[in-house]
Amino acid sequence: MSCVSGLQTDCEALLSSFQETDNVRFEVFAGLWRDRRFHTIFHGQTRPLEKNKFTQKALDLAWRYFLPPYTFQIRVGALYLLYGLYSTQLCKPKQKIRVALKEWLEIQRFQLDLINAQHYDAAYIFRKLRLDKAFHFTAMPRLLSFRTKKKIRETQLKEEFKELSNRVTRLITSDVLEEMMNVHDHYQKMKCLISIDKSQPDKALNLIKDEFVINIKNAILEYQQWQQNKMKSSSKAKDSEEMTDRKEGGTSQDSEGSERANALAKIKYKSYNAVAMASKSRRHRQVKLESSESGSDQGKVKSPRCKRSRERSQLTQKGNSLETKDRIQAIKKEVVTRNRRMPVITEEENSSEEDLPRPKRKRTR
Amino acid sequence: MAGSSGSAGCAVPEYEVPELHTRVFHVGSFGALWKQNLHRADLSVQEAVAEDGAAAVAEDLGCGLETAAELRAVCSIDMLKSPDKEEDPEIISEDSSLITLRIRKKALERREETIIVDRTCRQETFIYEMESHATGKRPKDPANLIEEGELFLTLNIFYPVIFQKHKDHKPYQTVLVLGSQKLTELRDSISCVSDLQMGGEFSSHPDQAPEHISKDLYKSAFFYFEGVFYNDKRHPECRDLSRTIIEWSESHDRGYGNLQTAKMEDYTFNDLSIKIGFPYLFCHQGDCEHIIIITDIRLVHQDDCLDRTLYPLLIKKHWLWTRKCFVCKMYTARWVTNEDSLAPEDPCFFCDVCFRMLHYDAEGNKLGEFLAYPYVDPGTFN
Repeated sequence: MSCVSGLQTDCEALLSSFQETDNVRFEVFAGLWRDRRFHTIFHGQTRPLEKNKFTQKALDLAWRYFLPPYTFQIRVGALYLLYGLYSTQLCKPKQKIRVALKEWLEIQRFQLDLINAQHYDAAYIFRKLRLDKAFHFTAMPRLLSFRTKKKIRETQLKEEFKELSNRVTRLITSDVLEEMMNVHDHYQKMKCLISIDKSQPDKALNLIKDEFVINIKNAILEYQQWQQNKMKSSSKAKDSEEMTDRKEGGTSQDSEGSERANALAKIKYKSYNAVAMASKSRRHRQVKLESSESGSDQGKVKSPRCKRSRERSQLTQKGNSLETKDRIQAIKKEVVTRNRRMPVITEEENSSEEDLPRPKRKRTR
Repeated sequence: MAGSSGSAGCAVPEYEVPELHTRVFHVGSFGALWKQNLHRADLSVQEAVAEDGAAAVAEDLGCGLETAAELRAVCSIDMLKSPDKEEDPEIISEDSSLITLRIRKKALERREETIIVDRTCRQETFIYEMESHATGKRPKDPANLIEEGELFLTLNIFYPVIFQKHKDHKPYQTVLVLGSQKLTELRDSISCVSDLQMGGEFSSHPDQAPEHISKDLYKSAFFYFEGVFYNDKRHPECRDLSRTIIEWSESHDRGYGNLQTAKMEDYTFNDLSIKIGFPYLFCHQGDCEHIIIITDIRLVHQDDCLDRTLYPLLIKKHWLWTRKCFVCKMYTARWVTNEDSLAPEDPCFFCDVCFRMLHYDAEGNKLGEFLAYPYVDPGTFN
């Protein structure tokens, strides 16, 4: 594990404990920071070039949590983290935070939100960073040098920090619902007008369910509830996994790959069945969502977070339905105790061949 | 305007190919858009920081004066410092819970054990020195101070010859230029051995090696950015090097679209439309081709080198291996010989002193049969 991935773990640990407090005050964050003596993260570096590079990486990492799609709380936490990292760094002159033009527009909106919501401490800190000239106003977030593919190493950030956003919520907002309601009312009136009985439309024109807007709303709410539960259960499962991980010292590597793949295929099969059992109106959405999530996990082989998030998305799949949960939990335990250090195959049906050689590559790292 | 192709109207850079390069955008409009979105204080390059009073805070955030004063105390950076005594930042404390520190400590210990010669440190020092030698410099003459809102472009200029050993790590120089600088200013700052080359064979009269190097004889050059060849036309003897390429492209309709030409001296970097991260070309001496990649564009910052006269500013160069004299193995080669009856190999390299001692007698008469050419080592610019 390189220094940078350690850095990521540390930052994420700080941010998640901040998230757990359910609070956005700077005092709370500062308390967590002091507990960890987080400023010592820059200690022990004697070479100036090394120092610069490390600081740059740290700022870049924190910056990414400051942008959407992360939750409001994580973004505020990231802002405090940036402030802390920027102010306690040991470089001279101080390394700057790179902000791209496209991001800036987003950030300004965030600052307005902060002020409107009267989170003055966060707004003050952003203002202070700006006055301290902590930013480099750039074209792109990172330097682009037409690198070859193998040199591009995407670090995967923690999924749990993300806002619960998806195509469903993006598509159906309250505005859209209201609009739909209005259109529907209008439609109903029109039908009444052309009908013989002016108070109620003809039976022949009765092509749509009257309460469909409410139905949609209920479906969405149900879906969001389900998604939240899913997130919770998956993070819990992950924590327990990490425990076993530590116990075993993380020494056992690969081996018995195909066996495990089979076991997972079984789980996958079962959870797909569970999806199919969901209500008719929700079925297509769920399936779509899952496959697109796993799609984004593809191809990021070298990322240290990759394996875990794979496992996690595998688990989220499991959390799909409450009925199957217990059964799956049992299977999972089997799998979990046998071997922890294996990359897990994603949900996509065709991915199993690509995934098998991965353990080898991992070993070379 | 030359260089404005299609999507040049958009000034917010975004990826065309993720993580690789952006779409085409106009450099000047991009800078203008940034300035629109920032306050004067963000752009200022003056060091004097205005006293940040509670009133200003209250006004900016729309909160009461008391709140503003309180914020200052609550959000102070001292809140993040440990209450206990000062620590030495070079030492990692034993009881730290941070994983980063544990890894670093291990790495440092390993380095301590295995190190024999601290060579990496030397290289690293060199890189660091190059990078930071100009940071924070300000001009003596205030007229040369870089204006606020000026753009900085970071360019990687690759060396023309890529040896097999550089297959994976192509050597390049990194140069900072200002948006308001002309392309010709960059052209004049690019150092390349092919400009210093001297043509001809001088075995019979080594003292008459010409004073004129290629740079003075062949002044033509061009930059290629986004379908436009920017030719150096400052001197009457400059030729249009791009003509053959354009004719070649047009003659068979090879699908390169409409290539245009422009005068290099008429354009600044702000006038260009480019993609960040995309490879372009600089060509001089007829066929000495350097790939150029613009890796970054940003606004100037008060901590940067603010002396306009120091730009284009070289901040990174590759340390090239020099060829040593075959005789003394000490000095860099100045001569190369072919078909040399006195040399063990062909071609053979000599420094000036050894070359003369071996090949000429006391009166300066040529000994033996050989062809001699002046040689300029690529390591000259180290």
